[in-house]
Amino acid sequence: MDTLLEASGVSVTFDGFRAINNLTIQFAEAELRAIIGPNGAGKTTFMDIVTGKTRPDEGYVIWGDKSISLIGMSESQIAQEGIGRKFQKPTVFEAQTVRKNIAMALQNPRGPFDVLFYKKTKANGARIEEIAEEIGLTDSLTRIAGELSHGQKQWLEIGMLLAQNPRLLLVDEPAAGMTVEEREKTTDILRRAAKTRAVVVVEHDMEFVRRLDCKVTVLHEGSVLAEGSLDHVTSNQTVIDVYLGRSHA
Amino acid sequence: MRKSFIMQTPSVLWFLAALALFTLSVTILSEFSGVDIISTSFVKTLGKTLCLCLIAVAMDVVWGYCGILSLGHFAFFGIGGYAIGMWLMYARTEGIVLTNMANQTIPATPQEISDAIGNQIFGVVGSSDFPLIWAFADSLTLQLLMVVLIPGLLALVFGWLAFRSRVTGVYLSILTQAMTLALSLYLFQNDSGLRGNNGLSGLQNIPGFETTSQATISIAFFWASALALALGYVFFAWVVSGKMGSVVAGIRDNEARVRFLGYHVEGYKLFIFTMTAVVAAIAGALYYPQAGIINPGEIAPIASIYLAVWVAIGGRGRLYGAVIGAAFVSLLSSWFTGGGAPAINLGFYTIQWTDWWLVLLGLSFVAVTLFFPKGIAGLFDYLVRK
Amino acid sequence: MHRILLPAILLVCSILPAQAQDLQLILQNHASEIAQPSRNSVHVALEDIMGSKLDNAPRFLERWADKGVWQEDATGLFYFGAAKSDALTLTDINTSAQSEAPTTGYSQLKPNGGVRRKIGTALVQFQLTDDDTARRETAVASIARRPSEEHLEPLLASIEDEPDAALKARKIQLANLLSASFGKTTEDRIAAINSLAGDTSIEARAVLNQILTVTTSAAKTLPNANIARTLDPMDAPIASYAQLVDADLALPLTAPDAIRTGLEANIEGGRVGGIPLIQLGTDEGRTKAYTALAATGTVPALVTTADRDAAVASHVFFETYAEPNTEITTAARTALTSVERKVGIAQSADLFLDGLSLASIYFLAAIGLAITFGVMGVINMAHGEFIMMGAYTGYVVQLFIPNYTLSLIVALPAAFAITFAAGVVMERLVIRHLYHRPLETLLATFGISIALQQLAKNIFGTQARPLTSPAWLDGAWVYSDVIQISYIRIAIFVLALIFLALILFVLKRTRLGLEVRAVTQNAGMAASMGINPHKINMLTFGFGSGIAGIAGVAIGLYAKVTSEMGADYIVQSFMTVVVGGVGNVWGTLAGASMIGFLQKGIEWLNPSNTLAAQTYMILFIILFIQFRPKGIVVLKGRAAGD
Repeated sequence: MDTLLEASGVSVTFDGFRAINNLTIQFAEAELRAIIGPNGAGKTTFMDIVTGKTRPDEGYVIWGDKSISLIGMSESQIAQEGIGRKFQKPTVFEAQTVRKNIAMALQNPRGPFDVLFYKKTKANGARIEEIAEEIGLTDSLTRIAGELSHGQKQWLEIGMLLAQNPRLLLVDEPAAGMTVEEREKTTDILRRAAKTRAVVVVEHDMEFVRRLDCKVTVLHEGSVLAEGSLDHVTSNQTVIDVYLGRSHA
Repeated sequence: MRKSFIMQTPSVLWFLAALALFTLSVTILSEFSGVDIISTSFVKTLGKTLCLCLIAVAMDVVWGYCGILSLGHFAFFGIGGYAIGMWLMYARTEGIVLTNMANQTIPATPQEISDAIGNQIFGVVGSSDFPLIWAFADSLTLQLLMVVLIPGLLALVFGWLAFRSRVTGVYLSILTQAMTLALSLYLFQNDSGLRGNNGLSGLQNIPGFETTSQATISIAFFWASALALALGYVFFAWVVSGKMGSVVAGIRDNEARVRFLGYHVEGYKLFIFTMTAVVAAIAGALYYPQAGIINPGEIAPIASIYLAVWVAIGGRGRLYGAVIGAAFVSLLSSWFTGGGAPAINLGFYTIQWTDWWLVLLGLSFVAVTLFFPKGIAGLFDYLVRK
Repeated sequence: MHRILLPAILLVCSILPAQAQDLQLILQNHASEIAQPSRNSVHVALEDIMGSKLDNAPRFLERWADKGVWQEDATGLFYFGAAKSDALTLTDINTSAQSEAPTTGYSQLKPNGGVRRKIGTALVQFQLTDDDTARRETAVASIARRPSEEHLEPLLASIEDEPDAALKARKIQLANLLSASFGKTTEDRIAAINSLAGDTSIEARAVLNQILTVTTSAAKTLPNANIARTLDPMDAPIASYAQLVDADLALPLTAPDAIRTGLEANIEGGRVGGIPLIQLGTDEGRTKAYTALAATGTVPALVTTADRDAAVASHVFFETYAEPNTEITTAARTALTSVERKVGIAQSADLFLDGLSLASIYFLAAIGLAITFGVMGVINMAHGEFIMMGAYTGYVVQLFIPNYTLSLIVALPAAFAITFAAGVVMERLVIRHLYHRPLETLLATFGISIALQQLAKNIFGTQARPLTSPAWLDGAWVYSDVIQISYIRIAIFVLALIFLALILFVLKRTRLGLEVRAVTQNAGMAASMGINPHKINMLTFGFGSGIAGIAGVAIGLYAKVTSEMGADYIVQSFMTVVVGGVGNVWGTLAGASMIGFLQKGIEWLNPSNTLAAQTYMILFIILFIQFRPKGIVVLKGRAAGD
């Protein structure tokens, strides 16, 4: 398996608090990976670093076949390199229709003038239908995104990421606030997506992670504590200590 | 594509039809046609109002659609006015000077002509030399280019600096306000090269049309303003209707999401900011020949805030809302402050509207913000839907 | 220096003989000189009168100078006289016995201006040693006003016996000033000049500058004189050439107008000097025609710029000291350089004080805004109008309480209470509904701002209202001629310090402050801990507005109270908050200091143009924000938000 993204020796400090501490982690092409860890383990900060929102104090983030360094690139450049990100809270453009939401995310030239003179094409239309089908919103294409349910918004956001056609998808707590049924559907979408690209899911919920059935990385205090199958990491004594608290150990 | 766009947005058609009807009615009722129900000075007021509607449309795009509350767009409006005013003043003074010199026994040298013009224009600020910024004042073409280029470049540089360092929200508003304050303070100086607080005057006299009556000139500018408004409206309606509109509205509602979708947000903001600045300048270039005079007080920060007030009252995020707001509030304002509104006698106190109009405007503005965030246009929508 | 001069003078004084005890007798000795005094010879009579040391001598000199002395034509005796139409009241000079007489038979003495000055100088000598300190002070002050050579010796003579220490110091200083210009020997003058080196007073600088007065002149070769410096004429060829013309060393440049008039006067058959009129619309054509005319002698020869440059180059231009003695000018130059360095340092100190007081004002104006902005994320455009409300409160209180001190004591809490209430009302009615919509808040508060401004105009009119400060705040603290600051500004600085301390105390040491900080950092969490964020927001807004009210009283004391005064401060206040960094008292302090000092600094660099200073300052701030978008003091980490 080729390495798609490699972070090594990454550290970042906020006001004396080490959010990420000498973190080294790798993702391969077409891999589904879950990142778990208690609150404050640095999961969201790690995503911020990869997507260019936060600049690390030290360390490298190397991307793709050409081994490009992502550090110093802007969020939009990184996104154009093929890294999509879903936020913890669903963030879609609530004032616009589902179709427009997806259309905006479609992989097309991103310059202002390209967009100004953009013309609708059959291929793009078909792609929108395809994505709507994938996330189960075919009937809602003309609805305003703000009217969707919480779960539907989450799917729409995932759909927008898919429309970007990224090589790496970073998904932050997709199952939060979802019903059991919705979770199952979300799992399916993510597993299907992971067949053609790397999907990294940050999640609290162990049930959800179990359902994803993939390699798991445990983060703790800004670095990797354990890595492997879910059964493997959950049997790790340190992981148990971290999750349950040392007094129980 | 243009056709399909207009078909898709019926409000544009409605707007154009209404504007055409309005323009024709005013022309027919004006002094120019002989009917003389609408006086020349009121035609000028209406023409100026159309220019204000145009800058309001630009303001709506930058604020209502893109979410950048610029408190500096009147600066661009003013620069446009100054740029065209320089040519108007230069060309007219040149005409007078040449006429005066024609009777001389010896033909004047270019230096003598230029000195005489300089004396005429800059005598009020105790100078007679042409500052560098007047270098192109003798050429209408170049000066028209300046109308577009200078505000465009200023907006580009300012916007690039501001957006690049991710200054957003109220910070950006304050920064744009600082920009217009700096510009007006600069222009207030006598050595700014633009006649300090005297400003440029006599702009209603169009060089080459000395014999044409003001009634005709006012109608010509009225038509030009209407045309500019129509073009500006259609252009911006086109910009905000397509995918560009989606991205721009996306930036307004959730900048980070747009960024993570791979759009270079700063570039879009810069595009919108500069585009609207240029249109504001064009509006200004049409406004001031009708007003006749421009001075630095015109671009004081308060003017730009009023612009935001018009758009907010008219209804943000709808182009026709901006037009309604600008026309409604500015005409109402001149009606109230011009003494047109009857005083109200309460027995113990008489409300003179010249004194109380601003209080009313301020409070109604608060009320609109609190209770009708969609403004008059929102009300309009509501009625249409019913 | 006076140590050298003093014994010599005392010696001179002691040799003067005490000729007679009768003033009339002395006067009679010089009768013709006194009756018909001349500027050049009156000193003989004056020396005798002064030398007599008689008590009535000063009185005589005063009356003489005031044309109050009459001479009896028959006897030649002198009397003090006061004429009323034809009647004359005479007072005997020696005995003060009064008598009446008609004006006929008496002549009034009318000494001319030159003589009166001589008399005045002589009088000063008496006054300098008068028993009355006030009179001595007057004499010293009058010398300082019109320093002249003849004052030097009496001044020196009076120093030794001067009982008043301060006056003695002043006399020594003045003696030095006079010696620098009028000292008898070069050594005396140089000694005096050197003693001025540390003196930054305006009069010392004036003396040195006067010694160093130069005149600019031009000549073929450098003359033998005390030359200050030679000039490069090409630095300003036009001015240099004008000098040559003034000195009749060159002919004036032929002005374009002169060429034109010359040409116009010589038109012959549509041609001038053989050149057709049509070609005279260019400089080349005109020059050609004029040269042709000049060749025939009809017009003066053309003096061109090239001629001018050649003439200028063939002369030397130089500055000559009026003072011929090189040693003295060199010493004065050295002394002046050292004085100017000291003045420079003092000016920096003064500039610092100015900056400090402006910073205090900005701090007071902005801190309320900073609190509401920092805690609630609310931009209050009506903040300036709260400042105005505070100032008008002060004005109204003064209408009812005429005692300015008392009214100030009442006005400060009253202004706080009124603006606090206004702030709370505004928060409840408007701001509360607009949280998390900062741009809307900005606009709504702007609406309130224009309404309040117009309301104030309707109530108080458009003209400025006075807010008079108590007498003890009038005047200025003067350290030297260069360093001084008005008491009001000191008071504002103190007020700013008090508020800084108060705000820090409230925020760091009280329950309210704790809750405010909790809400600032995490409103949701604070609410779940039982803090009512609505109450906190309301109180914070009231508090911020109340401080604006107090700032209004302070600003009103030194500026006029108008309905637009708030608008004058609002943009600067925003700048202060933005530059300083949001949500931090120290940030506001830093922002106010930076803007205050910067503005004074730019004004100092370009004192003639305060508009330009403001323009440059705003441009600087715009650039500053580029590099520190979050201000000088930045809250880091997650609390700062995005």
